[in-house]
Amino acid sequence: MVATANLSRSDLDSSSGSDLSVSSRTSNRSLRVVEKERRKNEAGDPFLLALKYFSEVEAGTPCVGNDVLERNLVQVERVGLSRGLPPEAISVMLDYAMSLRMGGVMCVRVLKFLIPATVVPQEAVVRAVAWLCVSKMAISTQVLFLKWVLTVFDMIDSKDHIRAIYGFIFHFVTEENLVFRPFRVRKLLDLQTKMGRQPFLLLVLSLYKVFCPELVTLALPSRMRSGFKNHNSTWKAALSAVQKRNKGQVSSDISLTLGVKHKTDSRKRKYHHLEVPLLSSSVQRNSPSSSSRKVFPLEQLHSFPQLLDNLHRIELPSQMGSLLGSSLALCYLDYVQDDSAFLRLNFWLGHALHEEFLFCSGDGGSGSSSEALHLLNRLLSTQQFLQEGFSSSEGFLYKFLNVWDGSLLRPQILGLLSDIPVVPSSCINQLLFEPLVQLFFTSTLFFKCSVIDCLNNMLSKWLTWHSVYALEDGLDISLHSHTPMNMTLSGFMDSVVELVRFVGRLAAVGLQLEGCHSLLLSFILDFYETVCDMFLKYGLPLVVMPPVGVFYPALFATDPVSVDRLGYIMYRYKKNLTSAKCQQQETKQAFHISRQTYREFNHYLLFMVSCLWNSKMFLPGMAIEVDQELLALSKVPKPWTSFDLIHHPAFLGYAFDFHHKCWPERKKMDLNSIKAGKHWDWYLEFLFSQGFQGLQQFVQSSITRWSAAGTNDQGQGDRLSL
Amino acid sequence: MEERNSTEKTPCNNALAQRRSKSYRQSMRSCVEATHLAYTSGLLTALRIPRSRKAPKSRDITKQVDPDQVALLVKKEWQLSYVTPFYQFRHTQLKSYSKQLSAFIVSEKQQGLAIEVGQELGFKVNFSVVLGLAETDKDAETVFIQILSKQAFAAKDDAQKVVWSGWLTCVNGDLDYLRSLPLEFVSLPLFCTRGPESLTVLVKSWFEKTFDCCFGPLGINSTNLQWLASLWTGCHPTINIQYLKLVWTLPTLPPMDVTYTVHPQDAWELWDSMRQVDTTEDSISIDEVTGFIKGLQSHFFRHFRIDLSAGSLMQISTALGSSHHSGKIKIASPNYIPTILQLLTECALLKMPI
Repeated sequence: MVATANLSRSDLDSSSGSDLSVSSRTSNRSLRVVEKERRKNEAGDPFLLALKYFSEVEAGTPCVGNDVLERNLVQVERVGLSRGLPPEAISVMLDYAMSLRMGGVMCVRVLKFLIPATVVPQEAVVRAVAWLCVSKMAISTQVLFLKWVLTVFDMIDSKDHIRAIYGFIFHFVTEENLVFRPFRVRKLLDLQTKMGRQPFLLLVLSLYKVFCPELVTLALPSRMRSGFKNHNSTWKAALSAVQKRNKGQVSSDISLTLGVKHKTDSRKRKYHHLEVPLLSSSVQRNSPSSSSRKVFPLEQLHSFPQLLDNLHRIELPSQMGSLLGSSLALCYLDYVQDDSAFLRLNFWLGHALHEEFLFCSGDGGSGSSSEALHLLNRLLSTQQFLQEGFSSSEGFLYKFLNVWDGSLLRPQILGLLSDIPVVPSSCINQLLFEPLVQLFFTSTLFFKCSVIDCLNNMLSKWLTWHSVYALEDGLDISLHSHTPMNMTLSGFMDSVVELVRFVGRLAAVGLQLEGCHSLLLSFILDFYETVCDMFLKYGLPLVVMPPVGVFYPALFATDPVSVDRLGYIMYRYKKNLTSAKCQQQETKQAFHISRQTYREFNHYLLFMVSCLWNSKMFLPGMAIEVDQELLALSKVPKPWTSFDLIHHPAFLGYAFDFHHKCWPERKKMDLNSIKAGKHWDWYLEFLFSQGFQGLQQFVQSSITRWSAAGTNDQGQGDRLSL
Repeated sequence: MEERNSTEKTPCNNALAQRRSKSYRQSMRSCVEATHLAYTSGLLTALRIPRSRKAPKSRDITKQVDPDQVALLVKKEWQLSYVTPFYQFRHTQLKSYSKQLSAFIVSEKQQGLAIEVGQELGFKVNFSVVLGLAETDKDAETVFIQILSKQAFAAKDDAQKVVWSGWLTCVNGDLDYLRSLPLEFVSLPLFCTRGPESLTVLVKSWFEKTFDCCFGPLGINSTNLQWLASLWTGCHPTINIQYLKLVWTLPTLPPMDVTYTVHPQDAWELWDSMRQVDTTEDSISIDEVTGFIKGLQSHFFRHFRIDLSAGSLMQISTALGSSHHSGKIKIASPNYIPTILQLLTECALLKMPI
């Protein structure tokens, strides 16, 4: 180890600047320390022993028939190809190979399995270049090394020193020292005319295309590109295999890099408009500020720290569509808030969506291609990332809803729909509700469920925006404080009321059409779980009760889960209404929840209590009134008890079960005996223990119990005062 | 010529300051201003489609526009496309665009060979401004592009051959729309091309990469073909249209094409009889246009028992020009250029995604 360090240091001193040797020395020292510790801990590790061998082996040791060498080499090779080599191992092996201590054959073999597990230490590369300068190496080996550097270039931990020796690297390409960039480009172009289209020249030239697009234009042919890949394919395949295996521990940077960049476009595309453009630097650098200042093209952005370091000099790409799907670039876009940039992105996106789904210019078939699916998925994830919808996708949806058949790419379209920002109440009906109503009533149960789900998501996104922005600006919210157009609180409330009422109408009629299907009911109750908590959870002074068409089907549902959820929803309504009332009295704010809402709530509450608890139904003055004679005709004994917690179809099974447990010896079932005395309490506890928390909260919060003179325990619904 | 062109400025939009661009978070406003930004269901978009137009007036366009340039535009058939506004397009940079585009074309043609910008190449590209076609100060000036090819063995002073030409224009574009664009954007929504498709693709691709815009095909639907038929027929008293030819395709199996040629005087008389309904001389309403076409159709039905309204109008032509459903247009007389271009600009702007 010591010998290696000395050797490389003297070499660097002779070949390049002294500053390099300093850093290489420190890195060697730290390497030694690490090595020592490792040695102490795992003295027996064959991999470390192999590395030790390679760091200490003397120059001129024969390699033919050397069993020790072979054993150690296989050891390192196996680790390299399976898990990748740690930085210090890369450093040792590269040094061993490039110093040609055992000849060029070994060098080639080592280079081939030099797959980094995490990063490549910069010093190792610098030292290797120094070895390259000694120039004993065969040309093919030199080329192999340069290709290796290009392959792992993105994984080199820092590049400042590498940049310093670009001249040397260039020297190997051109064998002439070049100073100015335009000269370099011209030199390369000359070289190109001399040597034809060499892949490595193209790579260098395409790098120039990134940094100074005004100097060179170049089209990389797809066939060429794939041929080019083959040169490094062994490394690339091994590299990606290693990265896949080490996923999670490998630096997250790799997953963060610009996803679109390496997209192959080998397949000839019919749908040009669906193609996300490649990231490329803008040729337009007219403004004097950008030419004087060093810009950082987005193509070069690979990690979040890099983004933070270069935030002030990042340059947007020539085509904004290329940002889609690259989370790093979107982070930047979100940060700069450049209106023109958003407009460009919206033009591109709107154009793609319009061409594909509305103008249908893609060879007849519209929207069914996998490219369309891919684009929409990418758009969805982008919008989720930004937590907002693009205005072009919003505009597109308003048009598309009118022609949509309700099945084409349903999850994607509904996903996009749930992302649209608050629509002013003046046009919400025409833009959103009319087309949706038509689709809703003519489609299957599953579509109805997904529409309700979509509207639920939309509502909770609107409410979340409100809760975020209302905190900023007090009660008079402006959802978009940097735009001239603000939305007042009352405007926002109007939109929310419209949406909630609309879903109420859809739900009531939908339940009727589908015979109160419990799946649909479940989605509807999801929606009302959002609605009932608008005041407490999102700070919006608004309470809207569900319509009768939703309340009664939920109360009389045959599955206990729906009744339980209704109980929870009523409990939350009560909480919201009481705290709204408190706040109103305390602060004497101008806002108030209408008496009508309280009345509706009390009405529902009383009905629920008398029906579930007090076994009173069909009485004059109640919401559901049935003529007594008609009831008698039905021959149901004691019809008023048929929806209490014992006889309710949703809970009858539990009542049987409870009865059996209480009186296992009884032959004749008498459910009414549950109602008597202590058994009623036990029955309730039995129900709550079955997981009906909603019901429990409802009972505990809303029912005051008092024992009547008779046997029956009576409850009174706690009405809210108006 | 070049000198004069390069001094021409991109039209300035001052009114934009108070209405800045739309970002993805500014959708509120977009709904409120739904009327002209097509943020809408079909209903509101329909409002944007004009229901009446000014009657075309014969005007010697060569008084405003260089006659040589007019000659480049007329009597040729152009394929139409629409294009979204250009980002950072400058009318002052046309020379540099010429260099960039020619380098781009060569590099695309010789895949994998890097090309230095500004080198002498097999292709030469000319960008020039056609001054005078713009009607309002919000219309950007028309840009004409020519691609010339150099023959490898041609003598030095041989004329270079024009292999491709195209132009970008905006005539009487919707003022509200143009005002809504931020300053960095120039809208030249109508793109007319002529030449090999491969070159058109390259030019479009260069524009897309350079100005971050998107191209799409622009068809002329049957309503607009009917408008053109009426507008051209109305010109008959001033310039003899010689004939009015309409081609319908009927949805039979196999599809049946019907070519219907009308004597110019008959056509004009029918049109004129429709016109008498209207009191104002200056404007033409959509009702008159549909009435005119209905009249032609019912005449045809009386003779051949074929109801043309069941089919779709594919093509119309007169001596003043011709136009095809698939987005081809030929303007034969320079006198009515602005009228036609205004109609086509409208079609292109209706295609804008935002």
